[in-house]
Amino acid sequence: MKQVDCEEVKHSVHEFLHSEMHETEIQTITGHIANCDSCEEHYDLEVVFNQVIQRSCDEAPVPELAERVMQRLREVQDHG
Amino acid sequence: MPDLKSEKLQTFEEQALPLMPQLYGAALRWTRNPSDAEDLVQETYAKAFGAWAKFEQGTNLKAWLFRIMTNTHINLYNKKAKDKAKTALDDLEDWQIGAGESVTSRSSRSAEAEALDNLPSGVIKNALDEIPDEFRMVVYYAVVEGLPYAEIAEVMDTPVGTVMSRLHRGKKLLRTLLHDYASQEGYDVSEKEGK
Repeated sequence: MKQVDCEEVKHSVHEFLHSEMHETEIQTITGHIANCDSCEEHYDLEVVFNQVIQRSCDEAPVPELAERVMQRLREVQDHG
Repeated sequence: MPDLKSEKLQTFEEQALPLMPQLYGAALRWTRNPSDAEDLVQETYAKAFGAWAKFEQGTNLKAWLFRIMTNTHINLYNKKAKDKAKTALDDLEDWQIGAGESVTSRSSRSAEAEALDNLPSGVIKNALDEIPDEFRMVVYYAVVEGLPYAEIAEVMDTPVGTVMSRLHRGKKLLRTLLHDYASQEGYDVSEKEGK
C-alpha cells in the first residue's frame, strides 16, 4: 500500500468525506487513519463540523411561497 | 383538447416545485435574509419556467435550477463590482488564510468537536453569512446539499479546482470565525474535559 504522511492525509479530508476519491486513495487513507489517532481525530472533527453546518441550515420556506411561485408562473405563462 | 401551455405548467409544477425547500435553502445562503430569499426563489422559478424547453429531461433538475439561481442572483444584485474582492481571496496563498484555528485553543480535537457541537445554530449561520458568497455557496452545496464537485463547478460556473480550493478555504474561514466567537463568548470546554 502506498505510504502517505499525516499532512497529506489531513489535507485530503474534504475529498475523502465528499466521495471525491478513487478506491485506491480511499484505501490508503483508511489504512493510515486506522493507525493514526491524530488523523482520525482530524477526520472525526470534520465530520462533526459538517453535521453542525447541516443542522444550522434547516430553514423551511413559508407554505405561502409555493402559492406565490405558482401565481408568478401563471403570469409568465399568460404573458409569454 | 388540452391547452399546451397549461400542460407545460403542469409538468413544470410536478417536477420543479417539489424542489422548493432546497431552492429556498440555497437562496437563503445567497441572500442571507428570508424576504430576499423568497424573491430569489420566485425569480429563479420564473426564469426556469421560461427556459423549460431547454431543460434536458433525465438530467439533474436540481443542479439546473441551482445554476439558474446563480445567474439570477448575479443579475438581481449586479454583483460585478464586488467580484474583484472575491477573486482577491482566491489568489491568496493557503498560509495567508490562517490554519483554520481550533474553536478552543487549549483542547484536544474531540473536545473541539464537542464545543462545535454546542454552538447555537444562529452562530453557525452568522459565521456562514460572513464569508464571501462564492465560498459560502460552495461549502453549502458540498456540505448541506451533498453535490459532487463537478456539479458544484457547473452550478457556480467555475473549474473543479476552484470548487476544491473554495471548499477548503471556506471551511477554514468558518473555523476561524467560530474560534473567535467561541473565545469571545467563553465557550470553553475545559470544564468538560474531566468527564
